[in-house]
Amino acid sequence: MDTVVDAPTKTFIQVTEIWVPEADRLVLAEGNYGGLAAFEEATRAISFGKGEGLPGKAWAEERPVVLKGFDGSYFKRIEAAAEAGLTSAVAIPVFDDATLKAVLVVLCGDDETRTGAIEVWHEEDGLMMLDDGYYGAARHFEWVSQHTHFPRGQGLPGGVWSANTPMLFRDLGSGYRFIRADSAGKAGLTTGLGLPIPVPQDKTFVLTLLSARGTPIARRFEMWDARPVKVGKETAAILADGICERDGPLWTDDTQQEPRRVTAHQGNIGKVLATGLPLVASGKPSLTEGYDSMVALPIYDDGAISHIIAWYC
Amino acid sequence: MSWIDIGHIEDVPLRGARLVKTAVGCVAVFRTDETEVFAASNTCPHKQGPLSEGIVHGHKVTCPLHNWVFDLNTGEAQGADEGRIATYPVRLEDGRILLDGDSVAKRSAA
Amino acid sequence: MQKLVVIGAGMATGRMLEHLRDTDPGAYEITLFNAEPRGNYNRIMLSPVLSGEKSFAEIVTHDEGWYADNAITCRFGEKVLSVDTERKVVTGEQGEVAYDKLVFGTGSSAFIIPVPGHDLPGVVAFRDLEDTTAMTEAAGKPGARAVVIGGGLLGLEAAAALRLRGMEVTVLHIASHLMERQLDPAAGYLLKKDLEKRGIEVLLEASTKEIVGNGRAEQVNLADGTELPCDIVVMAVGIRPAVTLAQEAGVACGRAIKVDAQMRTETPDVFAVGECVEFEGNLFGLVAPLYDQAKVLAKTLLGEDTSFAMRELSTKLKVTGCDLFSAGDFAEGEGREDIVFRDPARGIYKRLVIEDERLIGAVMYGDTADGNWFFGLIKDGTDISEMRETLIFGPAYQGGSSVDPLSAVAALPPDAEICGCNGVCKGDIVAAIEGGATDLGAVRAITKASNSCGTCTGLVEQVLSVTLGDDFVLPTAQPVCGCTDLTHEDVRRLIKAQELKSQEAVWQELGWKTRNGCHVCRPAVNFYLLADWPLDYRDDPQSRFVNERNHANIQKDGTYSVMPRMWGGMTTPEELIAIARAAEKYGATVKVTGGQRIDLLGIRKEDLPAIWHDLNEAGMVSGHAYTKGLRTVKTCVGSDWCRFGTQDSTGLGIKLEKKLWGSWTPHKVKLGVSGCPRNCAEATCKDVGIICVDSGYQIGVGGAAGMDVKEVERLVDVKTEAEAIEWTTAFVQLYREHAKYLDRPYKWVAKVGLDWVKEVLSDAAERTALVERFDVSQSVYQKDPWAERAEPEAARRFQPLADLTAQAAE
Repeated sequence: MDTVVDAPTKTFIQVTEIWVPEADRLVLAEGNYGGLAAFEEATRAISFGKGEGLPGKAWAEERPVVLKGFDGSYFKRIEAAAEAGLTSAVAIPVFDDATLKAVLVVLCGDDETRTGAIEVWHEEDGLMMLDDGYYGAARHFEWVSQHTHFPRGQGLPGGVWSANTPMLFRDLGSGYRFIRADSAGKAGLTTGLGLPIPVPQDKTFVLTLLSARGTPIARRFEMWDARPVKVGKETAAILADGICERDGPLWTDDTQQEPRRVTAHQGNIGKVLATGLPLVASGKPSLTEGYDSMVALPIYDDGAISHIIAWYC
Repeated sequence: MSWIDIGHIEDVPLRGARLVKTAVGCVAVFRTDETEVFAASNTCPHKQGPLSEGIVHGHKVTCPLHNWVFDLNTGEAQGADEGRIATYPVRLEDGRILLDGDSVAKRSAA
Repeated sequence: MQKLVVIGAGMATGRMLEHLRDTDPGAYEITLFNAEPRGNYNRIMLSPVLSGEKSFAEIVTHDEGWYADNAITCRFGEKVLSVDTERKVVTGEQGEVAYDKLVFGTGSSAFIIPVPGHDLPGVVAFRDLEDTTAMTEAAGKPGARAVVIGGGLLGLEAAAALRLRGMEVTVLHIASHLMERQLDPAAGYLLKKDLEKRGIEVLLEASTKEIVGNGRAEQVNLADGTELPCDIVVMAVGIRPAVTLAQEAGVACGRAIKVDAQMRTETPDVFAVGECVEFEGNLFGLVAPLYDQAKVLAKTLLGEDTSFAMRELSTKLKVTGCDLFSAGDFAEGEGREDIVFRDPARGIYKRLVIEDERLIGAVMYGDTADGNWFFGLIKDGTDISEMRETLIFGPAYQGGSSVDPLSAVAALPPDAEICGCNGVCKGDIVAAIEGGATDLGAVRAITKASNSCGTCTGLVEQVLSVTLGDDFVLPTAQPVCGCTDLTHEDVRRLIKAQELKSQEAVWQELGWKTRNGCHVCRPAVNFYLLADWPLDYRDDPQSRFVNERNHANIQKDGTYSVMPRMWGGMTTPEELIAIARAAEKYGATVKVTGGQRIDLLGIRKEDLPAIWHDLNEAGMVSGHAYTKGLRTVKTCVGSDWCRFGTQDSTGLGIKLEKKLWGSWTPHKVKLGVSGCPRNCAEATCKDVGIICVDSGYQIGVGGAAGMDVKEVERLVDVKTEAEAIEWTTAFVQLYREHAKYLDRPYKWVAKVGLDWVKEVLSDAAERTALVERFDVSQSVYQKDPWAERAEPEAARRFQPLADLTAQAAE
């Protein structure tokens, strides 16, 4: 497979880590630190108890957590982060019913040129309200989002909420495809991925990743469906939807062509199916669709993986 | 029906068969499971292979000569082959195999 | 070149053109008309475009480049005004084009209910990109409201999409439950609940009275007085075939253009395909039969003989997060029976309709996992009487689940050895793949894995699959039989790796699909188990072919042949007298065989124990002329008698036969020992053939003289008789441990390569170990089967269980 030669100017997410519970602490399982060696070193030396630091908070509070500005916060790696230029982070817990499988943490730098959005929405009084989000330079869009709420079934957060499955929206900024479309268009946001984040308590959280062309969250998104509804009794997943800068649309209409399918253990997605854990891979483009790195995140429903979301950049 | 005691279940090897001579010809008694027996004609309609010498699998037997497979419930040949073997009522009682005597008695010449 | 004109660039004609160009690109000069100003796109994917989950560019099936590459003249955005079937000319807005063959693919148009106001601006159908764009624009106004008239597939997809776009949506449906043609009331109820959860209002038994507004649609009034203000009205109540053009051209139409099974209309050289056709009174709206028609029409146009046939259809609704499935006929009726499963907590409903022991309909909501399986049962008309009790639970209850051979490979650590020949471990292979080796050949070239004996090829492919995912296509290996998806190699490997020591363990752990195998896999598994676990596993006679179970060869008349062993082909007067007596006593025909033995033919099964007993008495044992095992060692008289003989070939033959007899092998094994290169024992076409020379012994392997004729290849030259026996034994054991059941040694050697065999056997320690393992096996299996079965208790089994002939005569 060809590797991508036209490297992106900058990626929106600079560091991705996976923390897994070991006894009563969270330890680092995998991480992609780009070139931030010192921050990586600082990270490898620590672990988190329940309630400690950002990953521990996501675990204890059983919810995704957005943290902007580390100074004076509960963030444990303030100095190292400051030196690496990292200013914001989002922690996403992966729960299988009541069991914590892992915490995915993404860290971003503050930069007037980086545009994108990572948002956490929650349900309140029958509406999806913005919990918090990290927007980089998309300040106006941030303001719009803070003042927008979504009824069930409407827009990306409302759609994910009512369908209880991940959704991938195209061309956020063109036409009227998106409630915040006008502002999204001005901010250069193109692709939106929304996913339900199941937690043990009866609460609804939706995570959205909104990607811009210049500083993409990812240059390739994949949405794999692993429910028996789609794959039968076998532990497997089909590529239900996806979009790639290089390969174009990644879905197939099932009357035209069978979708891509992997079984447990087959490649990176197969590994997530088999282990039930999120995955970060980097530095092996031949295994990550020609891109430098990938993140794959399982979503659980009813005691089993229902979907796997993967993004590559 | 007139049930005739033809032997003990242990006289037939598991997933094997034994032969019973009757007025209508040789009948094979198949033991498909610990306590499950079937009775059918011993003779394959294809080239008269002795079915009691075939490999017994599931509720089926494979003829040792040319691998025709018969369903012991119905006697029907399976797959592409066409043919049927006669089946006979058989049952187990306290480990004894009982074969329906009427079904294997010589038909009257009427 | 003939001229083909196609009217309408829809999904059916698009598919038809593809087939035509794939099969015979030069058959026609093609002109394609389309009233829409664009080419073929995937119309059934318009609803995700409407919702924003797809972009229009993604659903274009044939772009400009495709038409250009295939030299199709496109007249898009141009309406066809008329067709003259006499002159064979099509007239478009831009002029005429002549045809030799004409295809109508005019599709269908939305059915618009003729209520007052139906022609107001703001009333749209949901058929094409223009409609979709109109709806998208309407959704742009904050708080905009949509009324969707029609609660069928299309209406509901539109409603859900408009809701996602932020509209307030009301669905009006005339019937008492949604999708009444595809769903029963219970599933319709669940669907309504699901849509209401998305904030969509659903009004059933809603009759539209009128659409009113000032210059454009602003409100829908229902017959019951309900008033629904709106910004757009979507009319999705149904479609009607677009046949005006065909009718005007005089092509025979009923409800649509009438076609036969070759898609021919009643007018010569005029064809039709898609939603505009009527076949045996049927109209078509779902895509699957349209594709069938497209294929048939392409063949018809190319002069090939084929027919369109109706088939069962299943329905899916493209609303993200809504899982419903329906197929077949589920109306209630006499003689029909229902099986219903409900799980209210999880919103699951399944209903199966059975008639005459066959499944004729299935409706499922919430859990549609088994939909395709049920659909298959409906299509095939499978008799379901035997699985009736568990049918509703789906295929998982009907047979064993399959194992995943990849899990074992995925679990291997990086330092696990994959290729024993070249010492390549998993980590080396993974590193090569990461470095860009994406197929077997590349991995072989870089790591040398599977480059020698090749038995690890499957394993290397599985490492490729685990590492690369579906970018690597695992070759479809030939499974042992229908009972399993595993190959012989997989089964052998897993028996060793998972230490499976009984047939039950193999069936269970390797996920056999049948209760206890079949006549193909049972003998193979039985052999693998006894070869790998001689001390733990007990040979199962019921898994053996009749000859090996009865220790005699069955003949075509059901009698058997009996052949006593004659070591190295040597015999004595006493043995010959005993054989002659037995032949007389049991009425045998006597034949001298090619392997230097005497065969007694025509023995009845009941007499086998008795003749064996008689031959045993004279000191003879079974000659195993019936086994996948050592058959005979053929020898010449050697240095004892022959003036050319260089060594005691007879003596070596006898020793080899005494060493090897009674062992089971994947297929039969025949040996020959010749005392000199003149080769009177024909050793050079045997599985193992030894030629004695002055300097010692030349051992050749892999000869054949059956359906294939093949000369042996030299394995090794040795100096002493003891070495010759050791090498031969080690070779046979290696064959026992590695070969696929029913592969003769020459086939096995061809697969693994003689070099590999040589390499393994040239290691003295390996040779010793092989011989030791062989000896362990022989401690169990080197027994005369005749003597065992001549015992009265065992002999009884050769008699009929009962004789009812006397009884019946009474």
